[in-house]
Amino acid sequence: MPLLELYNLRKDFGGLRAVDDISLTVPQGAIIGLIGPNGSGKSTLIDLIAGSADLTAGKVIFAGEDISDLPADAVFHKGIARGYQEPALYFKMTVLDNLLLPVKGQRGEQPWYAPRHSAWQREERKHAEAAMEVLRQVQLLPHYDTLASDLSGGQMKLLEIARALMGKPKLLLLDEPTAGVAPKLAYDIFQQIARLRDDHGITLLIVEHRLEILFDFVDYVYVMHLGALLAQGSAAEIGAHATVREVYFGD
Amino acid sequence: MINIDIGATAIAILTLFGIYSLMAISLNLEYGVAGVPNFGQALFVSIGAYVAGLTYTRVLPLLAGLESIHPCGPTMGQALQLRSEIMATQPLAGFINLALTLLIAALLSGAVGFAVSYVTLRLKEEWFLALVLLVGGETVRIVVRGADDLICSHNGISGVAQPFYFLGDARSGSLLFMLLCVALALIAYVYSQRLVRSPFGRMLKGLRENEAVTRGLGKGISLARAQIMLIGSGIAALGGVLFALNTGFVNTNDYVVTLTLDIWVMVVLGGIGNNRGALLGAALIAILDRFTQVAAITLNMSGSEIEFNYVRFIAFGLILLLMLRYRPAGLLPESPLTTNAHEVIRRARGPQPVSKRA
Repeated sequence: MPLLELYNLRKDFGGLRAVDDISLTVPQGAIIGLIGPNGSGKSTLIDLIAGSADLTAGKVIFAGEDISDLPADAVFHKGIARGYQEPALYFKMTVLDNLLLPVKGQRGEQPWYAPRHSAWQREERKHAEAAMEVLRQVQLLPHYDTLASDLSGGQMKLLEIARALMGKPKLLLLDEPTAGVAPKLAYDIFQQIARLRDDHGITLLIVEHRLEILFDFVDYVYVMHLGALLAQGSAAEIGAHATVREVYFGD
Repeated sequence: MINIDIGATAIAILTLFGIYSLMAISLNLEYGVAGVPNFGQALFVSIGAYVAGLTYTRVLPLLAGLESIHPCGPTMGQALQLRSEIMATQPLAGFINLALTLLIAALLSGAVGFAVSYVTLRLKEEWFLALVLLVGGETVRIVVRGADDLICSHNGISGVAQPFYFLGDARSGSLLFMLLCVALALIAYVYSQRLVRSPFGRMLKGLRENEAVTRGLGKGISLARAQIMLIGSGIAALGGVLFALNTGFVNTNDYVVTLTLDIWVMVVLGGIGNNRGALLGAALIAILDRFTQVAAITLNMSGSEIEFNYVRFIAFGLILLLMLRYRPAGLLPESPLTTNAHEVIRRARGPQPVSKRA
């Protein structure tokens, strides 16, 4: 059963059609690649799925439910989390607080309970321990009380993924998870991502420019060009696709 | 030259410090912590003062077991005499009246803050709220000023005595009132600190740092911001009640836009986002206020033609400009947020180096 289905998605910015009639499906438990040259509309498509931007037309179905008109916070509660192209962390908070913020249904977030620390302390401890476990998985444990702004570029990317995990998502949307990261670490990041699927059953839709790494991990690839779908297929098929090679590599 | 009574001056400054602290803590929670630009602080402070004007004229006589006299118009003098007598002779009625005043003021102001912001913050730009509140404060002021029966339009309500008036001795009365103001300010401070160091505070700071991302992490912006406006507006109204009691007078002229500006100066000077900074800003402005008052009177009595009260406005403008230019984070910059979770983890992990920088 497909976890995510997009039907004829369209997004206009004034006269510019950034996303043009995109339909695609993401099966449960898959790692799907979304590639295309700069400006082809990939990030806008991520925004549309996550509810960060309003659709001009089309339908987003998640786990059988129409979420086309839901705002970003409601989409997150349905089970879709996302990362950003530029690391969008809370730079003035510690790594641990970055992870605790997205936890759903925190009692201490209600102003009535918030000043009474005893009302939520136990719950916070449970969440903090879960956060430490996630940090251990992404190898950020020693940095738990470091300010997010003091992390390296690669660590920031990992923290962003770790933070998204704290919302226990079913689907994770990642926008260039290895942008600005050294090649060795980029491969590590993808191994971590593959483990999310293997160990936690999280489905992934990944925008990525480093095709040589991406193609090692994906089950299926969609190619966007000028807002529209240009091609789709397995990594091997896309790698050999003549038109894709032409627009993407200039062959 | 006039003699300066050091004891009385200290009491006056500390009283102002307590009152200003409430106002500054309120704005710091709203703007400093949550990033909601409240340009209508004068509105919420004034709600406290107007409520005091109403309770002192309508509720106090009833609490004293007497019939209330219409406070405005021909019976104005009679009504003033009645409440002065009650405040001088029936301390219990005075205290109950004050407690009621504080409660009603905080609830009413909080409700207004919540309602206005919940509606306007649903719009994309939070600065829309700033404008609504700026204009709203003036509008309410003009309406109250125009209403003959509320607080007697431009005449205002005098004889809004502080609750220790019954002591007769002005010195001990003002000392006790000062302690009351400072105590309320400290309670508000402790409460705000606990609020900021909770998951609620973490969420608000997240909204301030990156609204889009925080939405994407499942947090409803409008409700959280309306909630902090409810709390902040309630605290501001407490400050308004004490402000009125301190001057003994409720008049719409005291709650103009410059009051809002004063409170912004306190927060910008002390340190945006830091409750301790709000206290420091309130203290410095209280001292500056007292100094300009004394200087103005001294100059006036010595026959000088310098209108020193205007120097206050020039000083405030300068402070704002210099701070924003040279020290935008304020005298006590905000420290990074560490919530309760850190203590828990630190305890569980045993002694560790304080922080490992990457």
